[in-house]
Amino acid sequence: MIRSTLFGIACLISTSAVADTPKFDVHKSIVRITTTAQEPDYRVPWNPGSISTGIGAGFVIDGNRILTNAHVVANGRFISVQRENDPRQYSGQVKFIAHDCDLAIVTISEPNFFKTMQPLHLGPLPTIQSDVDVYGYPIGGERLSVTQGIVSRIDFESYSHSGADSHLAVQIDAAINPGNSGGPVLQSGKVVGIAFQGYSGDVAQNVGFMIPTPVIQRFLADIASGHYNRYVDLSIVPESLTNAAARRALGLPDDDTGVLVSSVESDACAAGKLEPGDVLLSIDGHRIISDQTVELDGENVDLAEVIERKLKGDKVKIDLLRNHQPLSVEVELEPNNSYLIQANIFDEYPRFVMFGGLVFQPLSRNLLEAFQIEDLRVKYFYNNFINDEIFQDHPQVILLSNILPDPVNAYLSEFRYQIVDEINGHKIRTLADVANAFDETSDFYTIKFVGASRPAVLQRTAVEEAKERIKDNYGVRLERNLGEETLR
Amino acid sequence: MRFLVFCQASFFFAISAIAAENPSPSPAGTPAVETRPSAAPKEHLATELKGGSVLRVNSTNQSYDFFRPWSKKAPSNRRGLGAVIDGGEVLVTAELVWDSNFIELEKPDTGERATAKVAVVDYETNLALLKPNNPDFLKDLQPLDTSVAPKVGDRLSVVQLESNGTPVSTEALLTSAEVGHYVLDDYSYLLFKMSCPLQYRDNSFTLPIVQDHHLISMLLRYDPRSQTIEAISTPVIQHFLKEADHQPYQGFPSFGLSFSTTRDPQFRHYEKLSDSEGGIYVDDVEPDSPAAQADIQTGDILLSVGGKSVDPDGDYDDSQYGRLSITHFITTLSYSGQKVPVTLSRHGERKDVVVSLFHKPPQDYVIDPYVIGRPPRYLILGGLVFEELSRQYLREWGPSWQREAPQRFVYFDHYQADLFPKQRKIVFLSQILPNNDTIGYPQLNYMAVERVNGQPIYRLEDLAKAMEKPINGFHKIEFDLDPKVIYLDAAKVQENAAALQKTYSLPAMRRF
Repeated sequence: MIRSTLFGIACLISTSAVADTPKFDVHKSIVRITTTAQEPDYRVPWNPGSISTGIGAGFVIDGNRILTNAHVVANGRFISVQRENDPRQYSGQVKFIAHDCDLAIVTISEPNFFKTMQPLHLGPLPTIQSDVDVYGYPIGGERLSVTQGIVSRIDFESYSHSGADSHLAVQIDAAINPGNSGGPVLQSGKVVGIAFQGYSGDVAQNVGFMIPTPVIQRFLADIASGHYNRYVDLSIVPESLTNAAARRALGLPDDDTGVLVSSVESDACAAGKLEPGDVLLSIDGHRIISDQTVELDGENVDLAEVIERKLKGDKVKIDLLRNHQPLSVEVELEPNNSYLIQANIFDEYPRFVMFGGLVFQPLSRNLLEAFQIEDLRVKYFYNNFINDEIFQDHPQVILLSNILPDPVNAYLSEFRYQIVDEINGHKIRTLADVANAFDETSDFYTIKFVGASRPAVLQRTAVEEAKERIKDNYGVRLERNLGEETLR
Repeated sequence: MRFLVFCQASFFFAISAIAAENPSPSPAGTPAVETRPSAAPKEHLATELKGGSVLRVNSTNQSYDFFRPWSKKAPSNRRGLGAVIDGGEVLVTAELVWDSNFIELEKPDTGERATAKVAVVDYETNLALLKPNNPDFLKDLQPLDTSVAPKVGDRLSVVQLESNGTPVSTEALLTSAEVGHYVLDDYSYLLFKMSCPLQYRDNSFTLPIVQDHHLISMLLRYDPRSQTIEAISTPVIQHFLKEADHQPYQGFPSFGLSFSTTRDPQFRHYEKLSDSEGGIYVDDVEPDSPAAQADIQTGDILLSVGGKSVDPDGDYDDSQYGRLSITHFITTLSYSGQKVPVTLSRHGERKDVVVSLFHKPPQDYVIDPYVIGRPPRYLILGGLVFEELSRQYLREWGPSWQREAPQRFVYFDHYQADLFPKQRKIVFLSQILPNNDTIGYPQLNYMAVERVNGQPIYRLEDLAKAMEKPINGFHKIEFDLDPKVIYLDAAKVQENAAALQKTYSLPAMRRF
């Protein structure tokens, strides 16, 4: 299945003819990107965050654009771009950034910058065992470095930048080190990938990964709308129909066709169109094989590959059996939002509300990691957010994430890491609900937590008296951020 | 988390000759005793016990394998000391005889042995009474009295035996008495904490702790670094022995509620509680529990229990041990079958209720807190192994099971009262034994069963019943996780059952 995925995609892009290798100077295409990033601290959400500098690579593509990795410029406050053999530094701006596939477009406002630059062109998916050249600035360094390797394997891989996405990736045996990120991987003068991740030396050696051109081309197609819309998803869980009894129980012939819909996410694009128990027979005219693959151009590829190629608003046509009756549905594809709870957040300040020294934050991967939360219920809400449809009642899971000790909250420490259910009788579904509830004037603020009957109680007079004291003591720059303060 | 001592592997001392400063001479012929190089333990021959009040207890234990519920694990041996008490019985910790197959009593001086059986066992308080099969075996032994409880600050003696059978005692200072965890999570009773420089000797579980001729306590655990003992307290032993006189044994009672403190002045104002009053806030009341039957509700403030006023931390004034958690009064000073008056405040109004105490056995919980001394229940259908979720099953993941075991199940267990208010069990698929009927299904496990053939499943009996009514010849099994439905051919499953049983050498396809 791994190899067949490769072929399916290779065919997709085989229309772009590979021309003879032109003589070109790669130095005229590659740039060195220095990003000064400010990474917010979710434990101190009002702080602007620690400043760090990172170096990566990028390369010029058509339209006076620089293509690089999202993680090279994520959380960037200042981006400096340098050309080879040019002492000047140019200020770059992030035009588009796609955290789900770790790609970004950087532009330079200085009009002359691109005049002497040569855009690189995208090539096909390379074949296994073919040679590739990797360009970049490994471990910093002022001068361009090149290493050579061969294509080892092509498969779906987890993209570590978001931590929650998997797409096609190509494994090569050239060393890929920090600083290589964003650099082009070339074969016959064309870009066949962007170096983006590897393993640390104690895990595996000679294993580097690049983002192959099908993923890059999808990104470029997506931003052609002027906005990056993210990957789309049917948001269903299919189940193989390879067991003979299951096929007969569903009244299906012994023809290896069809998969069973196990669950449909109720707030996503397939809701109302597909139902649990449906047997999916074909997708966009491709017969669905019972092990969740489809045949594309003579090869079996994962069913998901059909969706991976689509953009927001694209439609997919599915033929199915519902209660033994044939039915055809069309689903307009949308990105999935629920899974984002498990994806790293970039380019925004942590959202929070602080009241009486109590800090409320929406549950996210960043928050969980910052506090190393081990609370059973919090972990359950995080891991079962989709399966158990936690999002129905808690589109944002609001935690009492921290308590800034003060007399006003001296007896509330046991409530830390509890999930807020109600404040003064108002159901809390989002962080904005928390802010609104505390904005109401009331003698007492009673905060009820999920699964706990005893509320935390704050007296308004005590909170008001403590307000400035807490802000002074703990250097609380602002008392809430509901998301207005974003970077871009 | 628990520091298990007297496990031979994890506990050793340097063996050297008798330290010169050792106050008591060792008897002639005794081989070198172990001493700590720098400490000078106050240790002497327990001459007062010479008549023989302690016995060696050897137990061969074999617990069930919850991953393969049809079989038992390899047998293991545990050794300990038992205290002879009135009535021809021997008191030991329950841990010593968990899932015991064979128990042997041995007189330390003569080496005479006799088999014994468990007469009464309480896993929650970790106590058991053994009875020799030959009642004359204990005839020449001196029973220990259990009627005296020590005060904090008293000096007690921990009894051990030399390998030649000579009793040795080590002085222990009773430093505090407080309610704390025994051996099973969620079961807390009054603990004695003592400081004592104890040495390793050739017994493992259970050491009696005495004061003159009184049995005071049984050692639960010893921390060699801080040289502290945690031990079962006298009131718990007294309760156990008193309760053991009545058959059937009823167990230690509880209210069946959880509470939190009311120290927070803002909370007290909100609840309109005066500053002079105490009271604890009732967080949760288990359905059908003594508290529920007495109409105690979530949000009530309990002000007094059994005439003892309860302070905002949940403590009362115990005549013997000072401030103690009210749970000690309820579980240990009170008995199953007793009625306890309770004064509470509900929405600012006082109310008096009477709670009739009883013990809730583990099988009455949705997820059994422990399954010891009885086999796990299971049912195998077409290679799918179904069990009922218990904490004993989760404990198979080892000491850090709360982090290692399937997190969804740990969550179910922890919040079971909240999640499953009705009396039921969680039936789940623990594994698949691959066979012709399961070809095409992935290796599935740790999924709770919701319905079989359209019938909701609340216990294994429901599953057995639902199996008798396949839908159009197929079993439809629905789970709480993806893949949410799988099918089996009912006729084929039946046809293949004997072969499956033979292939995997299963003694039986079900047990409940």
